[in-house]
Amino acid sequence: MSAGPSSSGFLEASRRGVADADLRRKLENATGRHLEHVAASHAEFPAFDSERDAARRIKEDAIGRLDELLVELKNNLEANGAAVFVAADAGEARDYIVKVVQRAEAKRVVKGKSMTTEEIELNPALERAGAEVVETDLGEYIVQLRGERPSHIITPAIHLSKEDIGRLFADKLGIPYTAEPETLTDAARKRLREIFLSADVGVTGVNFAIAETGTLALIENEGNGRLSSTLPDTFIAVMGIEKVIPKLSDLSHFLEILARTGTGQKLTTYVNFISGPRGQKDADGPRAMHVVILDNGRSAMLADPVLREALYCLRCGACLNVCPVYRRIGGHAYNSTYPGPIGSIVSPNLFGSAAAELPFASTLCGACRDICPVRIDIPRILLHLRWREGAKQPPARWPKETVKVRESVVRFARMARFPRTLRLLTRLAAVVLRPFSRDGYLRRMPGVAGNWTKWGRDFPALRARRKTRKGAKPAPRIADANRDGAAAPSGQSQ
Amino acid sequence: MSAFHKLIARVRTALESPVESARPHQAAADTASPHAAAARRAELASAFAREFGAVRGEFLGIHAPEKIPAKAVELARTLKARVIAVGAGVTLDFDPVRHALESARLTVVPMDTKKSEDAPPLRDRIAQADLSVVEADAAIASTGTFAVVGTPASPASLTLTPAANLIIFRADRLHADLATAIAALGPEPFVKNRVAMITGPSRTADIEKMIVLGVHGPRRLFAIAAWPGQ
Repeated sequence: MSAGPSSSGFLEASRRGVADADLRRKLENATGRHLEHVAASHAEFPAFDSERDAARRIKEDAIGRLDELLVELKNNLEANGAAVFVAADAGEARDYIVKVVQRAEAKRVVKGKSMTTEEIELNPALERAGAEVVETDLGEYIVQLRGERPSHIITPAIHLSKEDIGRLFADKLGIPYTAEPETLTDAARKRLREIFLSADVGVTGVNFAIAETGTLALIENEGNGRLSSTLPDTFIAVMGIEKVIPKLSDLSHFLEILARTGTGQKLTTYVNFISGPRGQKDADGPRAMHVVILDNGRSAMLADPVLREALYCLRCGACLNVCPVYRRIGGHAYNSTYPGPIGSIVSPNLFGSAAAELPFASTLCGACRDICPVRIDIPRILLHLRWREGAKQPPARWPKETVKVRESVVRFARMARFPRTLRLLTRLAAVVLRPFSRDGYLRRMPGVAGNWTKWGRDFPALRARRKTRKGAKPAPRIADANRDGAAAPSGQSQ
Repeated sequence: MSAFHKLIARVRTALESPVESARPHQAAADTASPHAAAARRAELASAFAREFGAVRGEFLGIHAPEKIPAKAVELARTLKARVIAVGAGVTLDFDPVRHALESARLTVVPMDTKKSEDAPPLRDRIAQADLSVVEADAAIASTGTFAVVGTPASPASLTLTPAANLIIFRADRLHADLATAIAALGPEPFVKNRVAMITGPSRTADIEKMIVLGVHGPRRLFAIAAWPGQ
C-alpha cells in the first residue's frame, strides 16, 4: 500500500498549530459559524433523527452486500454508455486516468472538488503527463494557487482569512488588492469560466452511486461540479467502492441529512445526476464518460468488523468542525488528505504506517459521534485503532514527555486502587500545590506533575477537605473536575 | 481474473467477517402523497415561495400560461438582458415566449444543435446569454428546489452558464418533499438524461464562511408557477 499523501510528524505539526493564535482564531470563527447553522438546521427539521436512522440502515445494507451492488452498478453504468475501471490502489487509478487524458490529447483538465482524487495524488501525475490541471472549487482553487493541500474536507481554505486570499489574488491573478469576498469571488469566476470553456477533460468525485439505475449523484453548491461534468468532451468520475447505494428512492434520506449536517443548509444548491455520456442529439454533456471505482484499502476496512462502520461516512465534514483537536490545530497538522476525526480513522487504513499516529489525535470526547449524520461511533473505532497500533508498535515511538505523562497516569491508576492512600496523598498534594493555584486552577505544577501543564493544559486545584454538612464526616476529594463521578476514586462512592 | 472480479472476490471475502451491528435494510416506505390537489396547491406554493426566498431565489408569483411570455419580457427588461436562451417546455409551449422576446427586439439563442461552420457550438452560445428560460419537470416545496431534466431541446447548460435563470414550473408538479418528487419523476429521466436538482443561485462560502452568490452558475434565479385561470 502506498504511503500516499500522508506522512508522519503529527506531533510536531500539531504543536505548531496550537502555537498559531491567528490560525486558531480563523478556525474558531469558521467552525463556530458552521455549528450555529447546523444547530439551527437540525432544530427546524423534526424528522432529522428518523432520517439519520433510515440513512444508517441503508448504508448498513449497502455495505453488507457491496459485492452484489458493485456488480449491479457496473453493469448499469456500462449499459448507459460509461466505461468503468476498477482500481485496486491509487497507482492503478492514476495510471488509468493519465491514459484517458493522453488518449484524449487533453491539454487542460478541470477538476471539481474531490477528496478521492486528492487521495490518489492525481494532480501531480497529470501534470507530469503534460496536462494543465485546474481546481475549480473556489476553496480548492485558492489552496492550489498557494501550492497547499486542502485543510478541510468541505471548506478547503478554512485556514485562510479574506485578507490572506486578497493578497494571494493580487499576487497570482494580478488584480488590485481587496479583502471583499464578492470581488474576490467574481475575479475567480471570470478566470475559471474561460478555463471551463476551453477544458478538454473534467474530473470530479462522486457522493452517491445508485446501483439500480447506474447513476452518479454529485452534490455541491458552486456549480463547478456541473460545469466539469458537462462542458468538457471527456468526463472522469472517481469514486470509492463505499459510495454505492441500492436504489434511487434511498437517496432522499441522505439528501435530507447531508447538507443539514455538512453546511447547515436544507439542501445543497445542486444535486447533479449523471448516468452516461451525451446522446447523439444532445448539445452538451461529455462525449465519453469514465468511472473509476477505487478500492485502495477499503476492502481491508470492510473485513474489519469494527472498521467497517467507517465506510458509512458521507464526508460531510461535520466531525472536523466539532472536534476540539481539529479546531485548535487545523487540517494541515494531520498531514493527510483526510484530516479530523474521520481522517484519523480512514488515513491509517488508506496510507498505512505513515498515518499511524492519527488515531491518537483525539480526546475521545464523543462530539464527532453525536454530530455524525449516520451515527458512526468514531471514538470506538479510534480506540480500536489505538489498540491495533499499540499491539504492533513499541511506545518508544512517542516523545519522552508523552511517555512520562503516560507513566504518571499508570502510577495514578495503581494508587487509585488504595482509597485511603489516595485520600492521604490528595490532601498532601493540595497543601504542596496551594501556592501554584490561581482562580481554582493549577496552570503550572512542579516535578513530574509539570508534564501535565507543560503544554498549556490546566488542572482543577485540589482541596484538602470538601465542604460538608454539619455532623457529616469530612472526606478529601479532587475538586470540581470529578463532580460527575466518572473519574472519581472508587472509595468516594461509599 | 479481471481487476473487477478480483475486487468482487476481495469484497466477498471481507463480507464473510462477522459484523456486530449489521441489520437488514428496512427501506423507509415512501410517504406517497398524491399530486398536489387543488386545495393543497396554494399551501404548497406558499411553502415553496418561502423556501425559495430563503435560498435567495426570487419568486415572481403564480400566473396563467398565457401571461408567461409577457412576464419573461418584463424580467428581461428589468435585468437589461439582451441575449436570452430559451429551452423547450415540458408541459408548456415556449414558442410564445420566444416570439414575445423577439418582438421586444431581444436576441433569442436558437436551440439548434446542427453544426454550422460559422456558428460557435450551442453550449458556447448559451454561455453568452444574459438570461435563460426553462421549464422544470418538478418542484419541491420543503426545500424550494427544482428538478430540471436536460434534453436535446433544453440542454443542461441552460441552468448553468447564463448569468440569470428563469425557471417556470406547473403548479401541479409541485411536490411536498424530496422523496415524493423523486418517486414522481421515476427512474427513467435519471437513466436517459442529465437531471439537476437546483436550490437557489450558485453560491460559495469558501471565504470565511461568508455566502457569495454566482461563483460559477447563475447569480440570480427567478421562478414562476404556471396555472390556468390565474
